[in-house]
Amino acid sequence: MVAIIEKQNFRDFDWVTTLLALMISAFGVWMIHNALPTESLWSKQIIGIGVGVVAFVVVSFSDYRRLIDTAPVFYAVGLVMLLLVLTPMGATINGQKAWLALGPLGRFQPSEFVKIPTVLMLAKYFGARKAGNLTLKEMLIGSAIFGGPLLLILLEPDVGQAITYFPILAAMFFLSGIKIRYVVLATVAMAILVPAAWIAGVKTGKIKTYQQERINAIINPESVDPRGYGYHTIQSTITVGKGGLSGNQGDPETSQSVLKFLPEPQSDFIFAVTAENTGFIGCVSLLLAYALLLSGMIGGAREASDRAGMLVIMAIVCGMIFQIFMNVGMALGVLPVIGVPLPLMSAGLSAILSTFVAIGFVISVKLRRFVN
Amino acid sequence: MKINDHIQNLGARIGTIQVLAFILLTLLGVRLYFLQIVHGEYYSDKAESQRVRLIPIPAPRGAIFDRHGKLLVDSRPTYNVVLSNEPLKSINVNDRVDDYAKGLEMDRSFVQERLALIKKQNDFESMVLKENVGMKDITWVEAHTLEFPELRVELQPQRYYPLGMTLAHVLGYVGEISPKQLEDPEMQAKGFHPGDIVGKGGLEQYYDEYLRGKPGYRKVLVDSRGRVQTELEVVQPQSGQDMVTTIDLDMQLEAEKQLANSSTKRGTVIAVDPNNGEIIAMASAPSFDPNVFVRGSSSAEGRKQIAAYWQDEKRPLYNRAIQGRYPPGSTFKIPMSVGALQEGSITVAHSNVLCGGGITIGNKFTRCMGSHGTPPLDYAITKSCDGYYYHLGLKMGIEGMIKMIETFEFDKRTGIDLPNEKVPQTPKTWMPYILKHEGKWSDIRTVYASVGQDTVVMTPISMIRAIAAVGMRGKEFTPHFLKEFKAIGPVGQEGDIAYIPPRAGFTYQHPEPRLIELQPDQWDLILKGMWGVVNNGGTAASIRMPNLEIAGKTGTAQVAELGKDTGANKDHAWFDSFAPANKPELAVLALIENSGFGAANAAPAVKGMYEQYLALKGQPSPENVAQK
Repeated sequence: MVAIIEKQNFRDFDWVTTLLALMISAFGVWMIHNALPTESLWSKQIIGIGVGVVAFVVVSFSDYRRLIDTAPVFYAVGLVMLLLVLTPMGATINGQKAWLALGPLGRFQPSEFVKIPTVLMLAKYFGARKAGNLTLKEMLIGSAIFGGPLLLILLEPDVGQAITYFPILAAMFFLSGIKIRYVVLATVAMAILVPAAWIAGVKTGKIKTYQQERINAIINPESVDPRGYGYHTIQSTITVGKGGLSGNQGDPETSQSVLKFLPEPQSDFIFAVTAENTGFIGCVSLLLAYALLLSGMIGGAREASDRAGMLVIMAIVCGMIFQIFMNVGMALGVLPVIGVPLPLMSAGLSAILSTFVAIGFVISVKLRRFVN
Repeated sequence: MKINDHIQNLGARIGTIQVLAFILLTLLGVRLYFLQIVHGEYYSDKAESQRVRLIPIPAPRGAIFDRHGKLLVDSRPTYNVVLSNEPLKSINVNDRVDDYAKGLEMDRSFVQERLALIKKQNDFESMVLKENVGMKDITWVEAHTLEFPELRVELQPQRYYPLGMTLAHVLGYVGEISPKQLEDPEMQAKGFHPGDIVGKGGLEQYYDEYLRGKPGYRKVLVDSRGRVQTELEVVQPQSGQDMVTTIDLDMQLEAEKQLANSSTKRGTVIAVDPNNGEIIAMASAPSFDPNVFVRGSSSAEGRKQIAAYWQDEKRPLYNRAIQGRYPPGSTFKIPMSVGALQEGSITVAHSNVLCGGGITIGNKFTRCMGSHGTPPLDYAITKSCDGYYYHLGLKMGIEGMIKMIETFEFDKRTGIDLPNEKVPQTPKTWMPYILKHEGKWSDIRTVYASVGQDTVVMTPISMIRAIAAVGMRGKEFTPHFLKEFKAIGPVGQEGDIAYIPPRAGFTYQHPEPRLIELQPDQWDLILKGMWGVVNNGGTAASIRMPNLEIAGKTGTAQVAELGKDTGANKDHAWFDSFAPANKPELAVLALIENSGFGAANAAPAVKGMYEQYLALKGQPSPENVAQK
């Protein structure tokens, strides 16, 4: 299925986006090394990037339209994998049954991958519709496609991962012509319902104490128990602030992660490590790199030759923006601690692989922008 | 836009998403600016303070020696379980009480106290939880480092008193600084922390700042669990200065032996060199073991022992030599005689005063123990004639007596280098009180005071100082224990941060001796009387020694009125002395509480001291042996 790399393909290939993605992930490897210099996580990450790049090349030179056509198959396979996770085959880590043990290949997190079949499936459905405002029926069907994997992920339970699915559906609805008044209505409803649900949850005890603590750590960091659930937020804030203008370039003597003050420095808090080692300069450069990457992708969406291609790109873009904001916001102490990986930076084979595949789709769409 | 879709306004919607993405990234950038640029230093300090920890290295206190270099006090290594407050900061320490109490076999209430105390400290302070632990406790702490990262075992020098009860009142003991001491602004200025070991009582307290060393510290890097990763800096401690005292241990042991052999086993024996005020021995009985205070305070059993000391009716903790106040009885006749000659109430040529077997004041007759006619001063001293002094007292008048009290400085502390010395009480002290309540100072009070009763109570130390001064014909020295503090070298190189300068050695700085002025023949008369007490058929003729002429004065001080002076209310027995009578080398005082006559109960103890003195003098001293 690999398309022959023709001259035209080579010319139209989006080198800038590809290069940015590679640079960010290389930067990530360096940070993973800084986070835990004595462990081999950074070399594993290089392997993950290698595998990811291969998958990326394969996907980008494939015809995304054909892949969207076969979306139901991928979608079904995805659901089966999510079901398998819930069977005894699934491995439990930190109280979450989110992993499939693949023997010598290590562990594999289906909820990371199933995002892609979900995006493809939704793009297939919404891409086929005609112009005009989104109907209630279309919304219900879209929600049903979305609901399958979401429900299975919530059963693991992996609330953090489940949250990252919502931007996909939001992007689909928004770009499929949902009436603006519904968007406004949804925003207002969120502004009222979220705090209301919070208060109700706290009162009924449905929101657990540690979850409350994590939120309180953001609202009022001085009042929370610095050794309790607010600890991660406080330590991450210290780590970021300590970096100053230019960071302290991998000094293990004073490293917050080496001294184990910063939890999960290679994945959830990789941004704090970046901040400690490269300072404000490094962090802003990284955010700019993300901005450029996202711009390039959005540019591809504008030039997409069909609606499905546009939707695939924008769903991926929205998912990435959301993850970047959640992860960095958490590291900066403005959002609660939810285990969302930072795209291309966080250590983890599943995440890096699925991100490269996702970007592969973007490239594939861009590559075929002139074809009709 | 390739997809023609005007109704849906697709381009604008994608643009909206793009703008939203930039806004979110900008918000993150602004937050980064505040954390890293505006508050970067604050977080940098915060990170440093949580990873750098100072672990104090305690400094050994200086040792204390007797005048011949015999060890009196030392420090020896012990292991303590130490609590650091940092890991405890945010946990409910009450959860730990039972764990510690069980694991370290400690009193629950004590553990609670310590935890409450450590919580109040600044960051990164530590404090001893259990002292002097054995292998069992060390193993327990090591086995629970993950569970209780706040505990660690530390090697610490602990004060050790090898002689136990011997010399305890003079040496004092050390212990943790008390909350009350900590509130003292003077102590705060010196930078004391809770848990610091300070001298309590005795020389340990008086010379604390010299005996105390300067603690060092280890600056270490710790991880989030408080486990030491690397050592950044070590500053070695500087030991305290060694002290050489004037005490002669053999004389001290003799003094304590004499007290132990006395009838009530309560009292004090003091031996002073009258030529310079050096205290050769100072015993107070009953005594206590300072080691109980050093190691006992953290165990229930030790606390019970300490409480027992405090509650003991015989008051073993109190140094009778400087804190006891007793009516001096007839020993007071010596300063009285000096005063009378100074005042001119009597002269050497005409020192005869009527005894008359007693005196009648108003309608009350106060009798003398004998009938001595009209004796001269020396005879009155030798025979301890009360009648003589009743009349002499009236001749001097209470004003003359107060002048004498000021001459001998009985209205002040002696200035001995021990804390908590008491001031004697005399007619001078009582005068304002008596005038207020009785309207006038009656003659009977003057009569009683002239034989050291009623309004006169003296500390043994002020009594021996006065008697030694009489032996020295008026030269009065301040009694003291310090001979020398040894120098101690510097720590580290000059210019280092860790540098501690050397501390110079020094010897006791003698204040100018005070002079009590009297003509030589006047001194001769008093000394003749005192010589006669032992050597010329006087009240203490029974302790006469063939090879040493002792001069002294007995005293039998009434505790209760005649007829009731038995059992617990028996008289206090005094004997104040110096020898040789013509050129004193040693002054000795013995006071045996509630034992009866001074001659029978106190004088033999003094004799024992002189015999020991002669025996030691005859022997070559250890230094001489070494030199030969």
